[in-house]
Amino acid sequence: MLKFERWLEVYGPSYLDGLGWTAVVALVAAVAAIAWGTALLAVRLQGGRWGGRAVDAYVQLLRNIPVLVPIYIIYFGFPLIGLVWPAVVCGGLALVLQNGAYISEIFRGAYQAIDHVQFDSAKSIGLSHWHTFRKVTMPQVIVYSLPALGNQVVLLLKDTSLLSAITVAELTMHAKLLTEQTGAAYEAFVVVAVLYLALVGVFEVAFGLAGRAVRWP
Amino acid sequence: MRSTLRRLAGSLAVLVLLLSTLATAVAQEKSRLDIVLERGKLIVAALSPTPPFAFTDDKGQLVGFDIDIAHLVAEALFKDPSKVEFVVVNSEGRWPAIESGRADMGVGGTTTYPDRAIRVAFTRPFIDSGISILVTKKSGIKSLADLNNEKNTVANLNNPQMADRAKKFFPKAKVLTFDTPSAEFLAVQSGRANALQIDTAVAEYFANTSKDQFDVLPQMLTPSQNNGIFMKPGDFKWWLFLDTTVGELRSGSWYPKYVEVYQKWFGKNPPPQKFYVPQ
Repeated sequence: MLKFERWLEVYGPSYLDGLGWTAVVALVAAVAAIAWGTALLAVRLQGGRWGGRAVDAYVQLLRNIPVLVPIYIIYFGFPLIGLVWPAVVCGGLALVLQNGAYISEIFRGAYQAIDHVQFDSAKSIGLSHWHTFRKVTMPQVIVYSLPALGNQVVLLLKDTSLLSAITVAELTMHAKLLTEQTGAAYEAFVVVAVLYLALVGVFEVAFGLAGRAVRWP
Repeated sequence: MRSTLRRLAGSLAVLVLLLSTLATAVAQEKSRLDIVLERGKLIVAALSPTPPFAFTDDKGQLVGFDIDIAHLVAEALFKDPSKVEFVVVNSEGRWPAIESGRADMGVGGTTTYPDRAIRVAFTRPFIDSGISILVTKKSGIKSLADLNNEKNTVANLNNPQMADRAKKFFPKAKVLTFDTPSAEFLAVQSGRANALQIDTAVAEYFANTSKDQFDVLPQMLTPSQNNGIFMKPGDFKWWLFLDTTVGELRSGSWYPKYVEVYQKWFGKNPPPQKFYVPQ
C-alpha cells in the first residue's frame, strides 16, 4: 500500500529546498524573536508605568490571537497601505511579533527569579540602568530561561508551517504541492513529519549544549 | 543529550506504528454504494469557495452549481435531495478526503486530467469548463502577450497543471501559489498580484461580482476541459452508479433537472447535448 522506498527515491531529494527554507526561516525568526523579547523586557523594566502598560497590552493582544491572523493581515493587508513585502518577510515578521511577546513573558519570569539584592548592589557600585540591564539582568535571565526558551523556539519552528498559506515554499508547502501532484497525502506528509522531528532534534540538541555550556558550577 | 535523542527515537517509533495500522485498515471490500445506502446519507467533499460551483452564501449555506449536482445525486440515491453532508476541503485536501474514505465523492470545479486519473477516478463530465485569466483593470493587461512580462504577478492554485500553463503562456511573469481560489482572489484584490488563473466560470463570477475592477481575458488557456465528480478508484459499482447518474443528468432522463440547475447558476441553457433535443 505505502510504497515508501519508491516515494523516497522519486520525491525524496525534492524535500531539501523546503527543509532549507523551514530551517532558515525558523533560525532567523528565532534570533529576531529573542532580540524583540529582550527589547520588550527592557521597556517593561525601564520604560516607567506607561511603558509597562504598553508592553502588557501588546503581549495580551499577540498572545491571544492565532498567529495565522497577523500573517494574513501583514501579507494581504499591508499592500493596501502600500507596503508590499515579500511573503517570507511578512510571515517571518508575524512569527517574530508573536513569539517575541511569549519570550518577553518567559524573560519576565526569569527576571523575577533573580535575587533583588543584586540590583541594590549594582546601584551601590554606580552602574547605570543600562549597564545593570546588560551586565547583571540579561545574563541571568538568559540562563534561567533557557529550557523555556528552547520550548518556545520549537513552537516557532513548527509555526513556520503556517507560512505555506502565503506562498512561502517551505516544507509544508512542498508537501501540499506533492499531494496536489500525486494525490498521495500520507506519503507526502509522513516524510514531512520525520523531517520536522529531525529539525526539532537539531534545535533541542543545540539548546541542550547551550544549557550545558552556561551552567554554573 | 542522550535523553533528547531517545525521546525523538520514541516518537519515530510511534509514527511507524501508526502508519502500519493505517496500511492494514485500508483493506476494504464492500462497495461504497452499499455503505452509502445503509448510512442513508451521502458525504461529499466540496472544494470551496469556488463560486459559482461551490461557495458559502450570505446565509452561511453551502451553495453552487456543483453543490446542486451533489443534491441531485442524493435524490437519485434516496429520493431526497437533502440527504447530503458536505465536507469543505481546500485544493490539495480534495484527494486525501476521498482516498481516506471521509467522503464518498467530491465536487467543486475539479477538472479531469489524465495524470490525475492515475490516482483518482472521475465520472464523465457534468459540465464543460476551461481555464481563463482574470486581470485587474488597473493593470492594463488586454491579452496573454501583455501578461507575459516581468512586471506582472499571477496568482495560481497549487496544482501542477497551473504551473505548467504558467511556464507555457507567461514564462516571464512572476507566479504566486495559493491553496484556495479565494486566496488567489484576495491576492489580486490586495495588489499582491495583478492577474489570476482559474476556471472560466469562476473568473467570470469574480469579474461580475466586483464590476469595474476586473476583466477576464478573451483568450482562454485551455478552451476545452471537463469537470467531473471524483472518487476513490477501484470501486466499480460506486463509479458506475455515479457515472450513470451524471450521464442521465447531462443527456438522458434527468436532463430537465440538469437544465433547471444550469439555468439557476449560469442564466442560460446548457450547450446542446443531442442535436434533436430542442433548446
